Amino acid sequence: MDSTSNSPDLAADNQRRAAIDKSVRGPVLFLFLNGAFWLMLSTILGVLSAAKLFAPSFLGDCEFITYGRLQPVHINALVYGWGIQVALGIMLWIMARRSGQELRGGKATMIAAGIFWNITITVGLLSILLGKSTSMEWLEMPKFAWPVLLLCFLAYAWPIARMFGRAFRPEGFMVSTWYILGACFWFPWIFVTANVALHCLPGLGALGAGINAWYVHSVILLFFVPVGVAAAYYFIPKITGQPIASQQLASFGFWALAILGGWTGMQKFMGGPLPFWMVAIGSTVGVLLLVPFGLVGLNHHLTALGKHDAVSCSPTLRFIFFGSIFLPVTGIILALSSAFWTGASIQFTQAWYALQTVSVYGFFSMCAFGAVYYITPRLAGCEWLSVRLIRNHFWFSVYGVSTIVIMSLVAGWQQGADLNNPEYWNLDFMNHVLNSRPYVMARAIAWALISFSNIFFLLHLMLMVAGLGRRSNAPTLLHRSHGHDDTQTSAQASHA
Amino acid sequence: MSAPAHPDSTDLDRIHAAVKREKVDQPPSNMPAPMWAIFLLMLVSIIAGAQLGQSPLTGRVVDVRPGGSSGGDALDPFQLAMKKGSSGYSVCGGCHQGNGNGIPGQFPPLAGSEWVNGGTERLIRVAQHGLVGAITVKGQGYNTPGGMMGFGAAMSAQDLANVLTYVRNSWGNEGSMVTKEMVEKVRSEEKRATQWTEADLKPFADKNVPGDVPAGPGATAAPAAKK
Repeated sequence: MDSTSNSPDLAADNQRRAAIDKSVRGPVLFLFLNGAFWLMLSTILGVLSAAKLFAPSFLGDCEFITYGRLQPVHINALVYGWGIQVALGIMLWIMARRSGQELRGGKATMIAAGIFWNITITVGLLSILLGKSTSMEWLEMPKFAWPVLLLCFLAYAWPIARMFGRAFRPEGFMVSTWYILGACFWFPWIFVTANVALHCLPGLGALGAGINAWYVHSVILLFFVPVGVAAAYYFIPKITGQPIASQQLASFGFWALAILGGWTGMQKFMGGPLPFWMVAIGSTVGVLLLVPFGLVGLNHHLTALGKHDAVSCSPTLRFIFFGSIFLPVTGIILALSSAFWTGASIQFTQAWYALQTVSVYGFFSMCAFGAVYYITPRLAGCEWLSVRLIRNHFWFSVYGVSTIVIMSLVAGWQQGADLNNPEYWNLDFMNHVLNSRPYVMARAIAWALISFSNIFFLLHLMLMVAGLGRRSNAPTLLHRSHGHDDTQTSAQASHA
Repeated sequence: MSAPAHPDSTDLDRIHAAVKREKVDQPPSNMPAPMWAIFLLMLVSIIAGAQLGQSPLTGRVVDVRPGGSSGGDALDPFQLAMKKGSSGYSVCGGCHQGNGNGIPGQFPPLAGSEWVNGGTERLIRVAQHGLVGAITVKGQGYNTPGGMMGFGAAMSAQDLANVLTYVRNSWGNEGSMVTKEMVEKVRSEEKRATQWTEADLKPFADKNVPGDVPAGPGATAAPAAKK
């Protein structure tokens, strides 16, 4: 590809990319900024709800901030406020760049949809605090919310899918756009199916719980995972300057996820009143998903091989590198909770929280942070202000989320083993709750560290969006390392 | 190099440096995957397939819960009876209280009661058919209006046996196990539809229903039948 990079149309190519960036600037920055706000709120609520779990009278006995209401608000803010919003921003930008398309129309619709999305979430979360929760996991917001959210999502997904259709792809197959296209179609399908089934079909009985679990698993596997993987597939080659290691692995990983992703969920109720074949398929696929996760992780690893100084240097690559380490970890935790041998011990325990956290925060959000650190300077026209804030954000996130995942997993294992142990037949349920207190305390502390770094992430991002970043031609790198990566390329570019 | 463009500038010639320093996108290459990874993932697939076959070792799902559909024998029979009896006791606890002390003057205690710790025959009959009229428990007289109803018709022999085992081995009580067979034996011998009175039950006061108690740890070591 050296011939391309040295060719005289480099300047034209730069212009083309700058024009694309400019066309998506408004919607993407809007989504990032609002997403970062919800992220900060969600992590603070994570501290509060964990605190309420080990000290129920913390902050008084007000009914609005009991654990049962704070916890769903915390998760919903993380999923809908931060996760899906930032995902849409990343999808829009990568798809526009990869397909070489400027965003033509629909910008005003996108901003309007973004505003409605945020208003709906605000009202929905307040309703949960007021006790109007539907009590269905990840769908706690009242009934009115889902049609609005669906329309808002489609206002983004449709133009993104159109871009793919019109794409100009000189480099041929690029796996990241496939994942993004998949996410555009999968999420509406999952969201409509789950909501119609749960809100509109009467008398589902036990199956309703199964559909709910299917929804949570599917949103993780067919929305958060594809978007995170797409970001990793895009940014790792982009920054290291090496091509994706193996096209075969990439396409096999994609199709395996596409085929398997929608089959899990029912195994959450193994041993419960669901038809056994549903549970058995969920368990099988839950374990089998380790294959695509392993392949994708391997591919990322091979792509970044020998470029580990870039990982320590580039904020984007560092976040994405750790995000893609958390992908196989997500797979392992999913497999542990799906397999019959282990799942029977950790079902209905805090291990469930470990799975949600590792997938939405450990994997997806880490990749999303990397993407935000890369995309924002290009859209805002200035560079990140502070190396220290980025570094803090990284380390607090890595240590924080690892602590939460490990603690929840160990707590879950202990709870499950105690509950199933015949020796403890006379142990009160309350004792199991009390035994998990140290782990929940650790969780609260970890969320507090993460909240601290996310408050500064939001401030940092606000300054960038306001155009108050560093006015410089040099990127904000975590180490001053010479002779590689961004600095080198910028020298080359100026020669051209 | 020129100063970075103002973001709202329409002049794309003055492009932000970040765009200029980007590396070109390249098509993926065809590096082969390492063999060990393929083998590892095959292993994963085999484990996954085992879930579909439910369990490669037994051919069926093992319900690990004590007393569950397939793992009931994981628990010693006495402990299983205690565990199930403790939840069954919620029916009795309404009057006799959770601590087994009853309510003085209204409901007689079970803790330390000679009715409970005595022969199993009388205890089973009381629980099966009920008891009415004036009685004396631990030296104190009780005459609850309506007496105690019989629970035999509403409970299976196993459930009743579990609750009675629990009652005989809680709050300081220590007695032999009551088994399902013992309850069934009493049921087949006695078909009355009315409640017992203290006088009616006098002959059974110290009689134990004959029957084997399952071997194992716990109170099963207690004498099975003292005639």
